[in-house]
Amino acid sequence: MNFRQFIWAQSLIMMAGSMIFPFYVLLLRNVGDSYAQFGWAYGLFALTSALAYPVIGKMADHLGDKVLLVTYTWGTAVILLFFPLVDQVWQVYILQIVMGLLGALQKNTEKTSLARYVAKETAGRQIGHYHTWTSIAAAIAIILTGYIVDFLTIGTIFYLASIVYVISGWMLWKQKP
Amino acid sequence: MGKRAIISFLIGYSVLFASSAYMYNQHFSRPLANDAGRLLPTEVKSIQQAAGEEQLQKIVREANDTDSKLSIAGMQHSQGGHTYYPNAIMIDMKKYNKILHFDPKKRTITVQSGATWDDIQQRINPYGLAVKVMQSQNIFTVGGSLSVNVHGRDIRYGSLIDTVESFRLLTPEGKIINVSREENKELFPLVIGGYGLFGIILDVTLTLAEDELYETHTRMIDYKEYASYFRKAAGQPQVKMHLARISIAPDSFLREMYVTNWTKAASKHDRTGYSQLKKDRIIAAPKLLLGLSRYSDWGKDKFWELQRMYMERGNGKFETRNNVMRSETAFMEYESSSRTEVLQEYFVPVNQFTDYIDDLREVLQQEEKFNLLNITIRYVEKDEQAVLSYAKADMFALVLLINQGTSTADRRHTETVIRKMIDVTLAHDGSYYLPYYSYPDKRQLHRAYPRSKEFFQMKRKYDPDERFMNFFYEEYGR
Repeated sequence: MNFRQFIWAQSLIMMAGSMIFPFYVLLLRNVGDSYAQFGWAYGLFALTSALAYPVIGKMADHLGDKVLLVTYTWGTAVILLFFPLVDQVWQVYILQIVMGLLGALQKNTEKTSLARYVAKETAGRQIGHYHTWTSIAAAIAIILTGYIVDFLTIGTIFYLASIVYVISGWMLWKQKP
Repeated sequence: MGKRAIISFLIGYSVLFASSAYMYNQHFSRPLANDAGRLLPTEVKSIQQAAGEEQLQKIVREANDTDSKLSIAGMQHSQGGHTYYPNAIMIDMKKYNKILHFDPKKRTITVQSGATWDDIQQRINPYGLAVKVMQSQNIFTVGGSLSVNVHGRDIRYGSLIDTVESFRLLTPEGKIINVSREENKELFPLVIGGYGLFGIILDVTLTLAEDELYETHTRMIDYKEYASYFRKAAGQPQVKMHLARISIAPDSFLREMYVTNWTKAASKHDRTGYSQLKKDRIIAAPKLLLGLSRYSDWGKDKFWELQRMYMERGNGKFETRNNVMRSETAFMEYESSSRTEVLQEYFVPVNQFTDYIDDLREVLQQEEKFNLLNITIRYVEKDEQAVLSYAKADMFALVLLINQGTSTADRRHTETVIRKMIDVTLAHDGSYYLPYYSYPDKRQLHRAYPRSKEFFQMKRKYDPDERFMNFFYEEYGR
């Protein structure tokens, strides 16, 4: 996988991620009753990430970034299929814990990959380039999704995002190391 | 990662995807309908926005073809599932709100039924005209108001039915007919106060009144003097509107009252200086104190005192008729997931008021856990035009605001108290209002509305397939 392909795959991941997260709040609002539950849902997410980072860090050096990224994308694709079916707060908590794990995979691998790809001297320019494209993808996704939710149900975007994750995982897997 | 691993992932994923989508479609994608009482969340087949006459006709005809049930919704402030029904198509009328014709000379206005009182007030206020009869708040749709045959602060024009010239009805067969006191006249008193059971009211022509400048007169009074005080006031033609409150605060429970009369201002005061329509303000102090009174007796006493201050401050104030008919509601909004606020309205003949209050107090003093927050009192003249008429005599109408839990046990408790209160009301030749949750039992309904059996028979005559359905009909009509 070269840097350009890496940016492509990450852009797709960002797109899928941005499709859900702003609208995910709408779903939480339907399920949860209080801001305290809201706080817990996101707190659990951050807490599981925190616990997972040391393990993931070691794994990245052992298994390589690609395996972890594919695990992340396909794992997320699967977990997203459960989102539309949630109607209890405890279910949201469980999903948040799994999302915390997966999120940690993504964040850590994103950074290790960047570290491995960029040259020290041009790191600023290259990482800037990386962020530009992934942010553009995210922006497009958020705006489009707004329209989609207006026409379809909130449940539909989880299915769409899930498919995008499968595709980006597929792209990552196909690429030569 | 081997190819085999990838293929098994893809197969597993596809299976999971299909079953998730299937489950979602089966159980989760049906829209949920609910009304202001928030006690009856219900899955409906779909929610359709009313867009035009032909589209509405098509919805009704298709419902006939597919044997689907229909229900009609406006602002959904009725609280007993009058606007929706399980697995029925809910027709949301709110966007069907054009003003079709306004004739300032004849003082009539024709509006689509999704128009709100506010829409009408905005249009007619510049012409110095006002609505004759409506609720105290102006947020409601005209169609919904007709379906519950509202009354309000006005004491001269009766209930809403008195101000209706004619309307057009989309019948259960999908035909459009004119209904007035001359044309299809059997339907006129059935559809008004008919809770959406006879078809869709498309548009309606209402007669209007002159917008006048009123002077506010407020005072505090003992409940024993109230009936004679009111009779005297009603005897003076310059008194146009009336509203009273009776205390629910423990220190003065069902004894102290604040009364307000609006009288036509002397001609030296000019309406034009006051004619701008007021905007709904959010008032922090009453909102806070109503909040406190939900939880404590102390809060209830303080809230009653605060209302006194507002009342005294309002004394002598000049306001146009249009502005008296657009009062603040925002401070009453209430958000909680485990509790809700429900309304009750009891009608009692003017001459029975004092004894009635004594009996009501006796019932309520034994119910310590019953969280009564507010009672306002209006007057409605005897009016038996509507088949489901609540004004069997000249009546005081007491509107009760009740805070209650949403659990089954809480509902049962509220039901017990409400049934007791209704029995007291019926014992004083009174009746109760129907747009609320189905706490009253069937016997109470038939006693309060002697023509209710006839009403439901006519429903089946005009809608033999029961195309238009709601919880109210299911509970009491079948």
